[in-house]
Amino acid sequence: MIKKTWINFKKYSFLLKQLVSRDFKVKYKRSVLGMLWSVLYPVLMTMVMAVVFENMFKFKVEGRSYIVYLMSGLVMFNYFSEATNLSMSSVVGNFSLLNKVYIPKYIFPLSKCLVVGINFLLTLIPLYAIIVIEMLRFPEYNMVVGLAHLALPFSFLCLFLFSLGVGLILSTVSVFLRDMFYIYGIVLTILNYMTPIMYDISFIQNPVLLAIMKCNPLYQYINFSRCIIIEGRIPELIYFFYCGASAVLVLLFGIVIFKKNQDKFIYYV
Amino acid sequence: MIKVNNVSMRFNLGIEKNFSLKQFVVDMFSPAKMKERKENKEKNEFWALSDVDFEIKKGEVMGFVGTNGAGKSTLLKIVAGVMKPTKGAVEVGGNICPMIELGAGFDSDLTARENVFLNGAVMGYNKEFLESKYDEIVEFSELHDFMEVPVKNFSSGMIARLAFSIATIVDPEILIVDEILSVGDAAFQQKSESKMRSMISGGTTVLYVSHSAASIKSLCDRVVWLDHGKVKMVGPAVIVCDEYLKSLNLL
Repeated sequence: MIKKTWINFKKYSFLLKQLVSRDFKVKYKRSVLGMLWSVLYPVLMTMVMAVVFENMFKFKVEGRSYIVYLMSGLVMFNYFSEATNLSMSSVVGNFSLLNKVYIPKYIFPLSKCLVVGINFLLTLIPLYAIIVIEMLRFPEYNMVVGLAHLALPFSFLCLFLFSLGVGLILSTVSVFLRDMFYIYGIVLTILNYMTPIMYDISFIQNPVLLAIMKCNPLYQYINFSRCIIIEGRIPELIYFFYCGASAVLVLLFGIVIFKKNQDKFIYYV
Repeated sequence: MIKVNNVSMRFNLGIEKNFSLKQFVVDMFSPAKMKERKENKEKNEFWALSDVDFEIKKGEVMGFVGTNGAGKSTLLKIVAGVMKPTKGAVEVGGNICPMIELGAGFDSDLTARENVFLNGAVMGYNKEFLESKYDEIVEFSELHDFMEVPVKNFSSGMIARLAFSIATIVDPEILIVDEILSVGDAAFQQKSESKMRSMISGGTTVLYVSHSAASIKSLCDRVVWLDHGKVKMVGPAVIVCDEYLKSLNLL
């Protein structure tokens, strides 16, 4: 069965490419700055948030550059929220296609996760630019761009697989329950505050809450990346295991749910 | 080549009615109403196809006739793999070119050229194949001057021409055609019909749905007459067509 799926995937890999490039082309079709927005947008968002939290609320992370701390968390969380949101509506939004021709249905959430992924890779350019600027501005923080950065793609891969898994689950559920579009908006907001993006996890005093927060795979992926970017060292082996296992488990769960229900999608137009 | 074994297809007409919080609360307070609704639910079931059973040999051109809602399109979608039947099974030997809905997956913001590749990919063709056939598609659709124009600026006839040209570039073993020969202007209609004939004479197995008895009679070897989801008659094209028209008091 896996072999059959693989042959089918190869047959439709061109469609996958077409869908990804279509989304990319359409996204910036009418804007003057076009693709530059992928780079500019996260920088400007980070600037705004950094000004608000650093100056108004006096947020600080001792001995580290706050703006690098903030941006590294922000770009990863934004990837998750955008990829899962688009995946969720991808199956419902393509109903008109799904009931006319045979297409493997998972191709829609997968293509959304990939499109947002390309965008994510583009945001790494301004992220590194800011890292270098902060390195020069605050030599006392001892940030280094070195060999440890070779481990970064691992956390990005985990983030991608995890988001794809969540996207598959959401796209299945939203077919049967359109309320999901609203519910997930709230869930994302909660998740946004529960993940230490603008504050440090040492802020949290309540041990129960702390334990819950550490179970959040997103926190683990972000923490993994920050360990490399800010402290310049490769995380301990246990974190590799935790990140990899959580991503693969959620993805497998998503695949099972999606596969079990995909034949029923067509009745719920 | 194609075996349709006792295929039945059930649709639930009132599916969204069973799905709201309001209904759930109402049910909690009035069990009698709930019972009534459960009975209604069974009434809501609609069998688009029941026990459809026939076989199509390689190279045969099979026509399908029947009134609106008889289940023709549902049957073709099941053969094409878009839907899974509730009961029964379909065996298909060979690659299928489903011309059920032309232009499925066109993106109005993209140019005609980009849509050729997108729509081609939706139909399961690969890049090399589409590139090698690109000129042929442009040639057949006669849209040379418009390939770099976004499809949203096209007339519906132009979109249909483009879609037809993309759909017919393959030499499939099985061709599924659902009333699409009436696209474009008179000249293009004739062109598309002769293209269709040349595909048929090339030994392709064809499943053909049309409301035009004349075109069914002239194209098909055998005909299946569907009536309310059941096979009413299978046999030589002229005989079944005439019976069908008689039943509608048209002959």
